[in-house]
Amino acid sequence: MKKRDITLTVNGEVMEVTVAANQTLLEVLRETIELTDTKYGCGTGECGACTVLVDGSKPILSCLTLAATMNGKSITTAAGLAKDGELHPVQQAFVEEAGIQCGFCTPGMVLKTVSILAENPHPSEDEIRHKLEGNICRCTGYAKIVKSVQRAADLMSAGKAAE
Amino acid sequence: MTAFTTIGKSVPKIDVKEKATGHALYAADLKMPGMLFGKIVRCLQHAHAKVVRLDLSVAAKMPGVIKVLGPDDVKGHPYNTGVLDLMVPEHVGQMLGDIEDQVVFTRHVKHQGDAICGIIARSEEQAERAAEKVIVDYEPLPVYLTAEQSMQPDAVQFTPLKPGNRAFQLPGEMFPNNAYGWGDVDDAMAKADFFVEDTFYVPKQKQCQMEPHAYVAKVDDGGRLHCWTSTQMPKCVHIKLARMFDLPMSKVTVTQTVVGGGFGARLGMIGEPIVAAMAMAVPGRPVKLQYSREEDWIASESRHPGKYWMKIGFAKTGEPVAVDALFRSYKGGYYTQGSGVAFTTGSWLGGMYKWGACRYLGETYYTNHAPCGAYRGYGNPQTNFVMEQLIERACGKMGADPVEWRKKWHKTVGDDGWCPGVTYPSCALDECLDRGAAAIGWSEKRKKFAGQTGIKRRGVGVSVMTHTSGAFPMLLEHTTATVRINEDASAEVMLACSDMGQGAHTALQQIAAETLGFPMADIHLKTGDSESSGFDIGAHASRTVYVGGAAVKSACENARKELFDRAAQYLDCPADQLTMRDKVIHAQATNRSISVAEISARGVFNYPDPATGERSGIPGQIQAYSSHLATHNSPPFAACFAEVEVDMETGEVKLIELVNAHDVGRAIHPASVEGNLEGGAQQGMGFALTEEIYYDDKGLCQNNSFTDYKMLGPSDMPKLTSILVEDPDPIGPYGAKSAGEAGIVAPIGAVANAIYHATGVQILDAPITPEKILKALKANGLSM
Repeated sequence: MKKRDITLTVNGEVMEVTVAANQTLLEVLRETIELTDTKYGCGTGECGACTVLVDGSKPILSCLTLAATMNGKSITTAAGLAKDGELHPVQQAFVEEAGIQCGFCTPGMVLKTVSILAENPHPSEDEIRHKLEGNICRCTGYAKIVKSVQRAADLMSAGKAAE
Repeated sequence: MTAFTTIGKSVPKIDVKEKATGHALYAADLKMPGMLFGKIVRCLQHAHAKVVRLDLSVAAKMPGVIKVLGPDDVKGHPYNTGVLDLMVPEHVGQMLGDIEDQVVFTRHVKHQGDAICGIIARSEEQAERAAEKVIVDYEPLPVYLTAEQSMQPDAVQFTPLKPGNRAFQLPGEMFPNNAYGWGDVDDAMAKADFFVEDTFYVPKQKQCQMEPHAYVAKVDDGGRLHCWTSTQMPKCVHIKLARMFDLPMSKVTVTQTVVGGGFGARLGMIGEPIVAAMAMAVPGRPVKLQYSREEDWIASESRHPGKYWMKIGFAKTGEPVAVDALFRSYKGGYYTQGSGVAFTTGSWLGGMYKWGACRYLGETYYTNHAPCGAYRGYGNPQTNFVMEQLIERACGKMGADPVEWRKKWHKTVGDDGWCPGVTYPSCALDECLDRGAAAIGWSEKRKKFAGQTGIKRRGVGVSVMTHTSGAFPMLLEHTTATVRINEDASAEVMLACSDMGQGAHTALQQIAAETLGFPMADIHLKTGDSESSGFDIGAHASRTVYVGGAAVKSACENARKELFDRAAQYLDCPADQLTMRDKVIHAQATNRSISVAEISARGVFNYPDPATGERSGIPGQIQAYSSHLATHNSPPFAACFAEVEVDMETGEVKLIELVNAHDVGRAIHPASVEGNLEGGAQQGMGFALTEEIYYDDKGLCQNNSFTDYKMLGPSDMPKLTSILVEDPDPIGPYGAKSAGEAGIVAPIGAVANAIYHATGVQILDAPITPEKILKALKANGLSM
């Protein structure tokens, strides 16, 4: 398989990676870069567990994205949201609202939430539910996930107000 | 009411920070030096076939291939993925007819996805490429997709151990006339004033845990097998692997990684025998086996589908004088939990209402589907769908209010539970019914929604359930917990109980903190290591807080007693006159104190004085344990209320609201109980409305993906209200009863009954799809 070198910025760290033409971003993150916080749930873009953010707040499904197309891009994974051991407000909200059970969908859910709130800092409940449709959770019935997103919106706007 | 320091508080769960960052390590996240990758070659084109030729020679020469394994290359006894062999005495297992009918690689394909052979290669991609080069020729066999087909006298036999392909029926030695129940049903039914009766179909539902099955295994140079797995039952997998491969338990160890959802999918073994066989073929090298989602779907277990006939006879007074039922399920290709679900489906029926007489026949036949095993509720969802719809119909005939009828006739304290002879020690179902009815506005809505004529019609329905807290006395309920107080007065609690996301570990740590009188932060729960933990049967039957919690409580009481006994000596005061606050033990009579840290440190750093030889205190580290065997199963109860809106033109059902009132005894961690009820509701409403694995007439799965198998998404979910009814159970630790599985059960009947209320038709086949509703409306002359 043809290989090429690309530059990726992952969680703020710039790196040169050699990728095969058929390698997905998910494979490169998990196997080459050894960041296993991005999860394989289905491999076909149906569950959202592999969600990562491109260039700050655009969510993509890393299992459907060829790594070679990401040359020069900045990728954020769930592990990259926490800074110096402090959880990101969205992660903090999921912890506080018990929006996490088995945790397998959580990295994708947290990143999707960041993107939702970047687009609209005060989304309605319907909007939250609609935008979470691509991220499947089998543990929570989504009740506490929706509350976590609402709590995250509060924490982030409180944080902004304090700045 | 006792004031607790930790219990009853929704403290941040102990494992969620690392889940929020994604640092939590699931089995698929493991990487080890020299690690190889396994790939299973599965039969994808047939559901029933004989392998007539298997040629691995080309695959073996493919780049990166280290080993190829066919059926003859695997040592080890036939096995059963389930764990009933460990849960009942051998003679009972024999009476039940439990068997081992699975092998690692088969020559007789019994369902699509059956494993034929394996490849071990340096990379996953190389293993996949080599797998494509395996040559297999099949001789197709007739495909059986119902019990009625596979029971035919000329049908191909799945195993010589089960003539006629009947995998299980309740054995006459244990159940007279092969029936669970009591009384003379025929006589009682004959005397009944009226009865309701129908045959229902319950669907093959998939657990859909978000983490696909994944494993790593390695045999070290001493011949010791190490398996990393996200099983629900690390200790049972340890024992079963040892038995399967004739190894002493000391030559096996199982590490449970973080479990990405269970719901029964990981009850017992799934891929562990296969990855162990692969590791044994390449000693010294770790082998990783990651199931794709499709493999997870077609080659791991599901709920038992089948036909469920039930007849209930009533007296004019409303008394349910008799219930008669037959659940004939479609087992799939292997026996697995053959006896378990076939029995419990009836036991949940028997435990619910004050039936004058009860007769339940449970049997299961092999079919060419993916095998059925454990799935949240373990037969209870099937019974709820059938029983609660028939009760609803009967209430209609009687003109009885469905809530009031249930309040009058459900079993309660002192009545026999699901296991005759074991009576209910607590029951707060009346309060669940009252509070649930108030929350949804039952009385008003029942009236308001009567006689609707529009296209969109609302309905409200109710359903009740009882479940169990562990499976005593039917099955072994045993957990060993060890508590060690460290020299700095922190504590380790070691046990093999599983947290699959249900929050059990946090609740267990709360029980430890409460009992020891230590802050949560000073306790560490050491789990997931089958080698350093004592026995634990594993996560099943909603037992973890009830049985595991009792073990933790008892071990901590023992540790606390030792701590107080030592303090009594140091303070020269009887132990029963001591109090502890902020980890300082105080004797009021003498106004003297000693800290837990000092007692612990003096025990551990027990230096002899160089001059006198005198020791610095009472010697030894404080360590206590409890090997707890349950003495009861304190069943929880629940009442669920659903409101739906049905479009009479399209048959579409919109979920409006669901209220789940759960009799939990005591909620150790209320947010976790709510989370389980809410997640259970999503799965229960899915059973009722959308979820079923479909097969074509060749037995090939038609919806092995999240796109084609419809689960309710965030926008499909109604407003959820969880009501935790706390009436402390006299037996459970701190009054707790179970809340793990229960959430799935009652929403099923509640949604079905709400649809009935809205439309006037009952749908006997689950899931209740728009097509079935339209068909039923047409058949009843109710089409718009």
